[in-house]
Amino acid sequence: MKKQPVIKIRNLTKKYGDVVGIKDLDLDVYKGEIMGFLGPNGAGKTTTIRTCLSLLQKTSGDVKIFGLDSHEDSIEIRRRTGYLPGDFGMYSGLKVKTILDYLLSQSGVSDKSKMKGLAEMLELDLNRRYGNLSKGNKQKVGIVQAFMADQDLIIMDEPTSGLDPLMQQKCYDLFREERDKGKTIFMSSHILAEVEEVCDRVAIIRDARLQVVEDIDSLKEKMGKKLEIEFENSVDPSLFQMEGVEDFNMNGKRATMIVTSNLDEIIKKISQQNVLNMSLETFSLEQMFMTYYSSGGKGDEVR
Amino acid sequence: MKFGKVMMMELKNRWKGLTIFSIVILLLIAGLIQAHPSIAEGFEDKLEGQDNIEIRMDETEEGNITITLSWSDWAEDKEVDRYTVMMGRGPSFTTPLLEEDVGEVETWQYTLLKENDEIPERYFGVVAHVDGEREFVGMETSLEDENGIEDIWGIDVSDIRGMISMLWGMWWFLLIGLYLGYVSVNSVSQDFEERRMDIIFSTPLSKRQYIIEKFSVLSLYMLGLLAVSGLVMIAGVSSVGELDTVSSSTLFLSSIFSLPVFMVIIAASILAAVYFEDSKKAVGFSFLVILVQYGINVVVDLGEAFEYLEPYTIISYWNHESILFDEIYHMGDFFLILVLSLLIVLGALLIFERKDIPA
Ligand SMILES: Nc1ncnc2c1ncn2[C@@H]1O[C@H](COP(=O)(O)OP(=O)(O)OP(=O)(O)O)[C@@H](O)[C@H]1O
Ligand SMILES: [Mg+2]
Repeated sequence: MKKQPVIKIRNLTKKYGDVVGIKDLDLDVYKGEIMGFLGPNGAGKTTTIRTCLSLLQKTSGDVKIFGLDSHEDSIEIRRRTGYLPGDFGMYSGLKVKTILDYLLSQSGVSDKSKMKGLAEMLELDLNRRYGNLSKGNKQKVGIVQAFMADQDLIIMDEPTSGLDPLMQQKCYDLFREERDKGKTIFMSSHILAEVEEVCDRVAIIRDARLQVVEDIDSLKEKMGKKLEIEFENSVDPSLFQMEGVEDFNMNGKRATMIVTSNLDEIIKKISQQNVLNMSLETFSLEQMFMTYYSSGGKGDEVR
Repeated sequence: MKFGKVMMMELKNRWKGLTIFSIVILLLIAGLIQAHPSIAEGFEDKLEGQDNIEIRMDETEEGNITITLSWSDWAEDKEVDRYTVMMGRGPSFTTPLLEEDVGEVETWQYTLLKENDEIPERYFGVVAHVDGEREFVGMETSLEDENGIEDIWGIDVSDIRGMISMLWGMWWFLLIGLYLGYVSVNSVSQDFEERRMDIIFSTPLSKRQYIIEKFSVLSLYMLGLLAVSGLVMIAGVSSVGELDTVSSSTLFLSSIFSLPVFMVIIAASILAAVYFEDSKKAVGFSFLVILVQYGINVVVDLGEAFEYLEPYTIISYWNHESILFDEIYHMGDFFLILVLSLLIVLGALLIFERKDIPA
């Protein structure tokens, strides 16, 4: 069965006057996955998310959610989508319960059991005034609010900001649990570890442009290991033109390469030389992200 | 999408402020009506001893005026040697135009010549001489109006209807208008400024419905306040015993009929809020509109030279005077202003629908 896109973004451009928020974005988010949306400050994550929900008017391009036009059918889309804004406030003089009841009934849901369950799980007291809550507790209200109506698609802008590590972990459990029930989640983040832990796929943007979209697993695999060898004598680089070796670099008697597969044969090839020193380290996503974040990103991987 | 939840939320968020304001307004209305008898008395006693002298003005064949003063009621059981009558241009007789000894008679007649076809403004004073002492009997004036006073708005405040009318036109428009403008701007711009818009519009609520509900809830609040104000006026006027001057239904309707004027203020303030997004600018704009409207009304009342400005202030379409004094209801004006307020709301939602919601 062909994978079914819940969010389908084509050629999306949003400009704020002269400032480009997001440029020519193509992105699909499939049913039942958690898609991470990663990028440095000002990359265009919030812009993309708010355009999808028609809070911003797009400059050009096309966004379809559930096959519906993001602008024309935004009301129907919002009926079926939970949204956690990156930066939000609520009625500070009112009780959390009053606010959530209002939002839930606006979504046309009368069953409050999920709201109560979520609040309990996140240890959130619904009887307190919103204005008196700490930053993290306010964020919890946002998370409860995004999931309480039990909608098919949840869009979140930096969902765990302000939460302590324990709470973050609870949220990741929640996200996975919802995904396993068939929900689709699209969330932005700065936090690599978060994306690595919770997302199935990740889209990385920088300077308003998409850099790469990948499965987290294959990304990890693809990044392989970084191998550094110090030889006694200089060696012929063509010796290492073999399967599984990328980015081979010879600097005097030092060689560096990225090993993605075929490790056994590579080691055997190395053992034919006199080796003085050698190190093999696993590339972390962190290093990869730094590559994309900094200006030396691999532009050729943009789809 | 069910209608009314945004309205409920607005009330839950704002009821304290609205309640306090309503109480202040109702207390002011009650207090001013209670104060009316003494205010009216103040105006009636304008001239010293005016009650002691009766004045009659008869037109002569030549079109002049014969003034007849008599003070026989005052003179009863008094041993008066003689009287002196004085006439002046004002109510003090330091340099009288005329001073006449009239002997023991308790009446005096004088023919006043018209100037430019109008009766000249003259004041008359009567002094009695008793046992060699001078005793002031009283004053009268040739002015048609018994009080000798008409303010520049042409309203007779000694009449309860005049006072209520002045209250509406001069104070209520400003007091209620400015507060309402402020609240209306904030009902929308606080959602911007406290970053609630994203949350509010994460639900399937249309921008159109949002604007209409904000407008409706404030209009309904105003309707409620005006209805209760009407009742408080009825109770007040009845307690000062003036219900035969103006009927309770007239009082009530004079209050209710101001609703469209306030709806225009609500609508214009909401429009300012969505246009400027910034509450300070929007409140500034709203206040400017209200003050300009009020200012035009004041200028129009200054004289005929400014009457051409009359169509440009919504206060002109309110007609509280014709309702209170003549029970004439200008339904055309009423609906004109009502439609105007709806058009402004339409403008507000068209602006809002085309706008990005700021993050
Ligand atoms: N209302 C606005 N007016 C003008 N420029 C804006 C506006 N909102 C965002 N931008 C610009 O658009 C670009 C993308 O911003 P956006 O908020 O989408 O980034 P982001 O990826 O969400 O960043 P962050 O991680 O800091 O939340 C930035 O250059 C930002 O300055
Ligand atoms: Mg952002």
